[in-house]
Amino acid sequence: MIKFEGVHKWFGKLHVLNDINLHVTSGEVVVICGPSGSGKSTLIRCVNRLEKFQKGKLWVDDVPLHDHGVNLTQLRAEISFVFQQFHLYPHMTALQNVILAPVNVRKMNKAEAADLGRETLTRVDMADKFDSYPAQLSGGQQQRVAIARGLAMSPKIMLFDEPTSALDPEMIGEVLDVMVQLADEGMTMCVVTHEMGFARQVAHRVIFMDEGELVETGQPDSFFDNPQTERAAQFISKILTH
Amino acid sequence: MMLSYFQRLIEILPFFLKGLKMTVAVAGLGLIIGTLFGFLLGILRASDKKWLTWPIGVYVALIRGTPFIVQIFIIFFILPDWGVQLDAFPAAILAMSILGAAFICEIVAGGVKAVDRGQWEAATSSGLNIIQKLRFVIVPQAMQTILPPLVGQYVLLIKDSSVVSVIGVMELTRVGWLTVVRIPEGLMVFSLVGVLYFAISYPLILLSNRMERKMSLGQVRL
Repeated sequence: MIKFEGVHKWFGKLHVLNDINLHVTSGEVVVICGPSGSGKSTLIRCVNRLEKFQKGKLWVDDVPLHDHGVNLTQLRAEISFVFQQFHLYPHMTALQNVILAPVNVRKMNKAEAADLGRETLTRVDMADKFDSYPAQLSGGQQQRVAIARGLAMSPKIMLFDEPTSALDPEMIGEVLDVMVQLADEGMTMCVVTHEMGFARQVAHRVIFMDEGELVETGQPDSFFDNPQTERAAQFISKILTH
Repeated sequence: MMLSYFQRLIEILPFFLKGLKMTVAVAGLGLIIGTLFGFLLGILRASDKKWLTWPIGVYVALIRGTPFIVQIFIIFFILPDWGVQLDAFPAAILAMSILGAAFICEIVAGGVKAVDRGQWEAATSSGLNIIQKLRFVIVPQAMQTILPPLVGQYVLLIKDSSVVSVIGVMELTRVGWLTVVRIPEGLMVFSLVGVLYFAISYPLILLSNRMERKMSLGQVRL
């Protein structure tokens, strides 16, 4: 589903992705962790080409992103991205947020899309907030609307960039619950997160990045309990103490 | 004495209303065209493509940095030397449009740039094309920043339209000039001119104030 082959990316002189090789198969849930600035967000932002890379090859859903002339809007319609800061459209209600892309990208008719939108919002437990504006919702609720916005496109892949990092502790659970449910339904997911409980519960693989390199990859339990590299061990001990 | 004063006023009023009509036509058309091009240029100017923003920047600097009267003279008296001969009315509208577009461009670019980058990224990620992103996500949010100064700019541009009197367009200011040399009541003539400009501008000033108040309360929802 996603295949990185020797991908490099530089921000000026900074080598943010250094020879990334990674293969994510359909239905797989991959958790990516690592210290800040390790390139983990950049990695998943390459998958829907929010970021370009300078060297290497990347196939997403068999589309070669390293080639010129790729139809990016078409590709992006198949990949949903959930941001740390939600980025809901503040001038639209929850329902309008969710159906904007189905109506305009999928060309669904409005009534059909509204049904789909209500159904999707119900799935993330937001059935009573269809007509609320983002400013009227808590962080956890906003993030669930953002997930519904992604889901409504029936994506083949969902990317999550630290989806719970901007949330108050008591709201993290409600967002993770939705993500667990998605994972159980067989969604292909790449999740940048430090939520170890989530990783242990649903991830098929944990990937550890540091300084732009993919340092270690393993089963969640073996990775967290018995990391193979010094850098991973250091990182895990740090997130454990918090 | 008082009676003849009012009689004079009644006598000249029809000419002034005609002038007012012309001012509304010149300013109105100029603002409409200027707004269209101002939005187009402003959105382009907010992009990160140097080859796009640079020429627009030069245009804006030239127009903002030279007096309007000079611009009108160039359009009306110099362009004919290059084979572009315009009547006073179209020349006035062209000049107003060029002037308006330059100022409105800057306001629009500022508004578009003020929209959070995350909004672009969210819209991009969901597969919207550039037109859809602008139409549904970016411009509606940018409008909150754009509207108050835009309406304020309209007021300034309407007043600037008085300058087109120099090429003979029979608008309010020109009617004032022509009248004042014929009758002794100079104060009355230009007070009338002022009152009529004020009649157009004041509602816009009120509108702008109201929008600014609402913006600061974060209540405007488009």
